[in-house]
Amino acid sequence: MTKPDQAIRIAVDRKAFPAVADRPEQLVLRGVQLTVQEGSFVVLTGPSGCGKSTLLNIVAGLDADFQGHVTFSQDDPKLAFMFQTPRLLPWRTVEQNIRLVLGDDDAQAAAKVAAILDRVGLSEAATAFPERLSLGMQRRAALARAFVVEPDILLMDEPFVSLDDPSADSLRALLIELWNRRPTTVLFVTHDRIEAVMLATRLVRLGGTPASIVQDSDVSLSPADRLDREKVLACRLRLFENA
Amino acid sequence: MALDNQTIRTGRVGRGVIGSVLSGRLVWTLVSFLSLLVLWALVAAILQSRLFPGPLEVGSKFLSEAASGELGYHVGVTLARVAVAFLVAMFIGSAIGIALGRAKGADQFFDTWLIFFLNLPALVTIILCYVWFGLTETAAVLAVTINKIPNVAVTVREGARSLSRDLTEMAHIYRFGAWKTLRHVTLPQLAPFMAAAARGGLALVWKIVLVVELLGRPDGVGRQLYDGFQLFDVSMILAYAIAFILVVQLIEILVLQPIEARVNRWRR
Ligand SMILES: Nc1ncnc2c1ncn2[C@@H]1O[C@H](COP(=O)(O)OP(=O)(O)OP(=O)(O)O)[C@@H](O)[C@H]1O
Ligand SMILES: [Mg+2]
Repeated sequence: MTKPDQAIRIAVDRKAFPAVADRPEQLVLRGVQLTVQEGSFVVLTGPSGCGKSTLLNIVAGLDADFQGHVTFSQDDPKLAFMFQTPRLLPWRTVEQNIRLVLGDDDAQAAAKVAAILDRVGLSEAATAFPERLSLGMQRRAALARAFVVEPDILLMDEPFVSLDDPSADSLRALLIELWNRRPTTVLFVTHDRIEAVMLATRLVRLGGTPASIVQDSDVSLSPADRLDREKVLACRLRLFENA
Repeated sequence: MALDNQTIRTGRVGRGVIGSVLSGRLVWTLVSFLSLLVLWALVAAILQSRLFPGPLEVGSKFLSEAASGELGYHVGVTLARVAVAFLVAMFIGSAIGIALGRAKGADQFFDTWLIFFLNLPALVTIILCYVWFGLTETAAVLAVTINKIPNVAVTVREGARSLSRDLTEMAHIYRFGAWKTLRHVTLPQLAPFMAAAARGGLALVWKIVLVVELLGRPDGVGRQLYDGFQLFDVSMILAYAIAFILVVQLIEILVLQPIEARVNRWRR
């Protein structure tokens, strides 16, 4: 059982990808124990290919082929997942893409969609098809889609990679704003250490083969400090000193 | 500056109206159609045979058949058969295709069946349907449907095998449920395959339905062609053939192309 203020209890004893053809079985995760507090912003980092996405997919319930268990404090919590690619339906407009994740019986759906589009600055592009938009705008739409469902748990897998710096910065600011407005439990995967420090209330590092947790630290920067480049850089040095 | 060595790109707008009309498809269609007509008239004039009527003769036969209402009636009957057989086959064939594309076990099991029905000659299906169910309307439409289902199933199966896992996962996370997933995630991905199946299938249905009518129906274009054959009335055969080609082309332009344009509107 989880305590009331614990949103997720993750205990992945063993996760392996079965052998295919001439490739042997690949043991990816071993003994990953992580308890996520309600409303915390947990950033997961680690070397490329160590199993961060695999862990996130397990938590999301997209991958059930592992030993261990993932327990949520709530029955049937509402999830949102922002993937590395936007994964919008290219044959539906931005507006329809966001409308679709709300229930058919949601009377306020239209108002919610309009409000979130306004917040992420996509009102003008509401009726555009996703592939006609820049990657940054598609990511905004994906972010809007994740927040419009008012998730209990928000999972994000490198949602801001391959954007230019200004676009990534403005999306990050948007994420912080949306999160402050409606705090929710977040599991966020990134490679970017500065991004990690800016966003995290807790930083978890995976490492080794098979991967397990090698570092777990609280990040106690104030909201103002997070926007201060000097403070962020100093904090990064402290957190990653033995990385 | 060596301007003459440079490639100069002129926008399509810059070519002028006349240029774009001359290069247009319409003109070429017209030219090619008229030359076919002229060639036909020439050959008919040289042969001077009752068995090779010229365009004028066929045209007047066409008009008299149209005026008497015969042409409209028979084309209508054939069209109705095509429509029913086509829709039923598309529906059942797509369902089978999706199921086989998604479930590997079922696919392996039913693959032999599919190959059997794909290679079963249309004429065999038609004869067996008439033998088993009598010379009825149901048997006729059933025969056409059974001929088409395997083609649709195979084409749609190809699409179902290549469905995006990314989008399926997204639909799962956001709890789309079966119906929403089918309508907004699966079917749009299958649309190009279903369009291909519809196209290939329609061409097939048009041809089979004539044989079905010829063998066991008192009406329809196929029946009229048969009557023309028995009377050696080549004008009648050609008049119905032309009516048939016109209807098929009209459906292509007025129904299929607009649907395709609408379904593909999101593409860049
Ligand atoms: N479907 C799969 N089949 C086999 N092996 C896989 C599969 N998915 C991932 N792996 C392997 O599992 C390991 C972890 O992959 P994962 O995608 O979780 O890493 P990651 O930490 O997210 O990496 P990155 O930072 O590059 O995104 C990798 O070595 C990868 O090759
Ligand atoms: Mg990854």
